[in-house]
Amino acid sequence: MPDTIQAPALPVGHYGYDQVDRAFLADRVEQFRDQVARRIAGTLSEDEFKPLRLMNGLYLQLHAYMLRIAIPYGVLDSRQMRELAHIARTYDRDYGHFTTRQNLQFNWIRLEDTPDILARLADVDMHAIQTSGNCIRNVTCDQFAGAAQDELVDPRVHAEILRQWSTLHPEFTFLPRKFKIAISGSPNDRVAARFHDIGLVAKPAPDGGTMFDVFVGGGMGRTPIVGVHLRDDLPEEDLLAYLEAMVRVYNEYGRRDNIYKARIKILVQALGTEGYRAKVDAEFAAMNRARYRLPPETVAAIRARFGTPDLHAPDDAAEQLARARRADPAFDRWVRTNTHPHRAPGHISAVISLKPAGGIPGDATSAQMDIIADLADRHAFGEIRVTHMQNLVLGHVRQDELHALWQALRAADLASANIGLIGDIIACPGLDYCSLANARSIPIAQKLSARFASPELQETIGPIEIKISGCINACGHHHAGHIGILGVDKKGEEFFQLTLGGSPGSDASVGQILGPALPEDATVDAIARLVDAYLVHRTGGERFLDTYRRLGAALFKDAVYATA
Amino acid sequence: MSDVRNNRREAGGSSVITANRLLDGRIVWQVAEGDWSTIIADARIIPNADIEAAIAQAAARQQADGLVGIYGVQVETDATPPVPVTVRERIRAFGPSVHPDFTPVAELEAHA
Ligand code: HEM
Ligand code: SF4
Repeated sequence: MPDTIQAPALPVGHYGYDQVDRAFLADRVEQFRDQVARRIAGTLSEDEFKPLRLMNGLYLQLHAYMLRIAIPYGVLDSRQMRELAHIARTYDRDYGHFTTRQNLQFNWIRLEDTPDILARLADVDMHAIQTSGNCIRNVTCDQFAGAAQDELVDPRVHAEILRQWSTLHPEFTFLPRKFKIAISGSPNDRVAARFHDIGLVAKPAPDGGTMFDVFVGGGMGRTPIVGVHLRDDLPEEDLLAYLEAMVRVYNEYGRRDNIYKARIKILVQALGTEGYRAKVDAEFAAMNRARYRLPPETVAAIRARFGTPDLHAPDDAAEQLARARRADPAFDRWVRTNTHPHRAPGHISAVISLKPAGGIPGDATSAQMDIIADLADRHAFGEIRVTHMQNLVLGHVRQDELHALWQALRAADLASANIGLIGDIIACPGLDYCSLANARSIPIAQKLSARFASPELQETIGPIEIKISGCINACGHHHAGHIGILGVDKKGEEFFQLTLGGSPGSDASVGQILGPALPEDATVDAIARLVDAYLVHRTGGERFLDTYRRLGAALFKDAVYATA
Repeated sequence: MSDVRNNRREAGGSSVITANRLLDGRIVWQVAEGDWSTIIADARIIPNADIEAAIAQAAARQQADGLVGIYGVQVETDATPPVPVTVRERIRAFGPSVHPDFTPVAELEAHA
């Protein structure tokens, strides 16, 4: 067997474009090239141009233009990763930022270069469409899809179907507000399904097909709400029809008068679960169902455009891995924290942490992107996944090759053993980049991860999720953090408000505000005291979240405000 | 820009004028009418009593000057070179705090 795997005709893990898809993208790039030329010439004003650039993922941020590139359901192939590295090196400042929406952002883009960048992206079947505006955004997905032992259905084919359905859907280009869908095929929610406008969980139907649990009306932002469970038995063939009905009801009744009340969560709260369900059912009953029916042949045709990995491992792969773990404690620790069980014998999924101690969560240099692309080719069928925790995953790694993979990652400063631990912090760009920010997120994350850098200490503290947003828009998911940190502005200075008890998973909850906001220089110490209080009071194998749920906020409040 | 944070102005204070360049989005500060610099130290300081008129004048020629989003930024009274009073504008003036190598001054030197 050769030691590098040849790229298969179809990409493993995501849909392979056909000529129609490519022609469409090429058209879009030329259209935008023309719009940019007209803006530079002055025939389009900024007010006219802004919606056009946003439709192509181009924002004007604090220091420069920011380009947000879609990574549909968080899966990309090595060829695409190399192109992103090339763009970072040529047009940006040698790095990119992976986001909680499984996309990639470049922070230093020039307007003039954007058409060329989009053309380069189109060459590798990528784009920046649906990354902005009041449309159905990039559908996010479980980072272990198609690999996880606990998965019941691989949701990526359905994610692709939703992508095609929502892309330029004539009725849904101007919704009252942006619309975010997440999909999983595992009973263990790793996509924050209950914090999305629509969350879907695929599972086997009694007839052997696929059906879906449907959650609706979850969200973060100014009004954090855990989504409600709408139904648990949506048949695959009605997936598009029912979602169409759900979005139509929103489109018709959702508020357009007040941007803060425009998300579907507000409508669902206003109508009540029963009221909203009744309207959706009525729409569903009245609509032309045949038109939106998703027949098994269509699903099969989309599935056929996904490459499938050929999962063969030597019989003693697991034994080889066990030996390597016994021989090398640092490797053993990394395997404990940074891998996930695979469905196929002799395989495992590996998480590449983009959270080095003191580093910027989610950032990768172009050199690192190239290395990861090479490692994906060597060990994972060229497939790379982006997680909503701002890390990367190689889904299908042979257990006997895991040690070699780890060594290569370590050499590239990509082997922090901290997944799910205190160093694995989500942070939005915050005031260092974002024009909407009140406060900086990244420096708080850097100080925390440096303070808790020791892998031993991190394992002792155990699973804990810290999430930081620089303003109430909550791009850093702070409402769903076991410890959430929200930046607020007081007369032009940065303050940070702590929330405790949030959770994104199957036990979803919104974090509660602990007390008055803290000045920047007191925040990291306060969190250290909070963690100390947890270590003193936890019993058995309790996570931070469990201790908080058992004991409530009072003791943590004392710890935080004792000396503050 | 309609952002309230950009309009906090004290009567006796002074301000500088800022914008982003249309072509590359980068931040600039007004040195004189029609003349802009990436370095805030070059900026001309205008008493707040006159700032609205100066902004309006700059805004009138923003397409010709290749600029977007012109607004005023209040600066500390006695600081020379000027230092904005808010964290936000200090980050705009001196670059992202997480990349000391990306400050406008470092950039200028790198290209010199
Ligand atoms: C730097 C430019 C960014 C801008 C201007 C921006 C803007 C916004 C705004 C205005 C909202 C609130 C929308 C609403 O509640 O209706 C929002 C929500 C959100 N953004 Fe961002 N964002 C930015 C970057 C990011 C990044 C880097 C991420 C990922 C790390 C992200 C992920 C999210 C998420 C997850 C939400 C919450 C969705 C919800 O409300 O349910 N954003 N963003
Ligand atoms: S949460 Fe606020 S500060 Fe952070 S990226 Fe979103 S809009 Fe910007």
